Amino acid sequence: MTGTPLLPREDAREAALFFVVVALCFLASLSGLVARSAYAAASTWTNEVTGQITVRVHGDDLDARRAVEVIEAVDGIAEVHALTREESSDLLKPWLGASGVPDDLPLPQMIAATAKPGVVQLGPQLEEKLKAAGLEAQVDDHVAWSSDVKRATDSAGLAALIAVALLAATAIAVIAFATHATLLARRDMVELLHLTGAKDSFIAGLFEQRFLMLGVQAGVVGALLALGAAAFILFVVKQADQRIWLLPQLSLSLADGLILGLAPLVAGLAAMLAAKATVHRSLGDMI
Amino acid sequence: MRTHADSLEDAAVRFDRVSLSYGPEADVLADVSLHLKAGSMTFLTGPSGAGKSSLLKLAYLALRPSAGRISLFGIDTGKLNRQTLARLRGRVGVVFQEFRLLEHLTAYENVALPLRVAGGKEKDYRDDVVELLRWVGLGDRLNARPETLSGGEKQRVAIARAVVVKPDLIIADEPTGNVDDEMGERLMRLFRELNKRLKTTVLIATHDLNIVRNTAKADMLRLADGMVVKTQLGPASAQAGAPAGSPAEPSPAAPAATAADETPV
Repeated sequence: MTGTPLLPREDAREAALFFVVVALCFLASLSGLVARSAYAAASTWTNEVTGQITVRVHGDDLDARRAVEVIEAVDGIAEVHALTREESSDLLKPWLGASGVPDDLPLPQMIAATAKPGVVQLGPQLEEKLKAAGLEAQVDDHVAWSSDVKRATDSAGLAALIAVALLAATAIAVIAFATHATLLARRDMVELLHLTGAKDSFIAGLFEQRFLMLGVQAGVVGALLALGAAAFILFVVKQADQRIWLLPQLSLSLADGLILGLAPLVAGLAAMLAAKATVHRSLGDMI
Repeated sequence: MRTHADSLEDAAVRFDRVSLSYGPEADVLADVSLHLKAGSMTFLTGPSGAGKSSLLKLAYLALRPSAGRISLFGIDTGKLNRQTLARLRGRVGVVFQEFRLLEHLTAYENVALPLRVAGGKEKDYRDDVVELLRWVGLGDRLNARPETLSGGEKQRVAIARAVVVKPDLIIADEPTGNVDDEMGERLMRLFRELNKRLKTTVLIATHDLNIVRNTAKADMLRLADGMVVKTQLGPASAQAGAPAGSPAEPSPAAPAATAADETPV
């Protein structure tokens, strides 16, 4: 018979607050997904080029064959071969289109080499050996590119973390404000509870429970909306078909599920703690 | 020889030179001292605006005095932390003049509120609450919300809520102001029973001389001009409750007392 919550619902105010927390949870979840996706894409890109070495030789086919011999002799090289004109032409297709490279367009002599697993930083050594052999060549072991990608993704990840932190802080501030407003609106009730012997912790518990539930529910809705948005982005990317090669590797993984699952828990916990701190601070000024 | 400590221990309520002012205005209560013995039943009377409600608020710890000391059950309330203050408030049942029922709760839930606050389990207190509501004539209004109750019904719910925990001290502000004579007498019998059987200290502010007259062995205090004096019903008021106020008693409903009946507390 005493099933009615002691803290009455305030539908209008709580609906507005719920909407705000949903929006914040949606943005935080999406930021988390974007950051996770950026890390995943960077990891895919760098893994693909790790151990791959590209050598451009200035000269004719003979120079290219000599360069292959020099590179083969270097310790740590697993495989090496000179690219045919067709292979080089294929690499240029994204820029030049399906018609490929005109026959009269001169292409540089390209050599693709693969380092043995765990062997890194072969670039300077190869450059030295080729120079010693009297060959003019440029060696690219993609280390600089990988570093740039890593730096870029680290920056994106940091930006996403800052965004999540700011959104969490905003949610906490909004909850604290709403708690204080509810406390003021229910001052008579709070005073009555005090006069019937309620401890501050009992009263704070009423608010904690209310805002914990609000945070969890808003977190679930926000996370589901973020999931929907991510699914929509995936759909759009899939529609890009063959043109997606420059886009990050997008997919929904276990890590994404973890991020989305954490959103309601974090939202609920943050809301509860914000309410608790606000109530205890405010009750100190009451009877 | 009674020591000060003895005196504190058997005092349920003790005011030592207590003053109260709201802001910079003149004191509502000035230098008030009183001593309600544990297990006593006391009526507080006085003209409207004399500060009866303010005095009660100080006694049930809704206000802090501007000066002086208030002790409940021998405990100086001025030095308590919030937890101890809450425990002390739990020993006091209050009937507010304006009822202060929670509008979103039913009559049953309002009465059960102090038990819920105290952490009681509903299965343990349900029968007591229902029985108490029956006793105050609201057995058929258990699930009614305050907005559907009359003033008298609200008052009975408020009284049931105040007594449901069997408090050590009951403080009631005009507890029979909105009920008919028969119900008023019934409610007073409840207070008298609690006072007699459980030795509950009862402090009632009232304008109703009849309930004072019908209560034997009760003390009567009169508050006027910031002073509390012990008093008795004078002969003038004994005549069918006719008003016989002194110049300091502008309210015709105030209990009558002659100067000769009064002794400072």
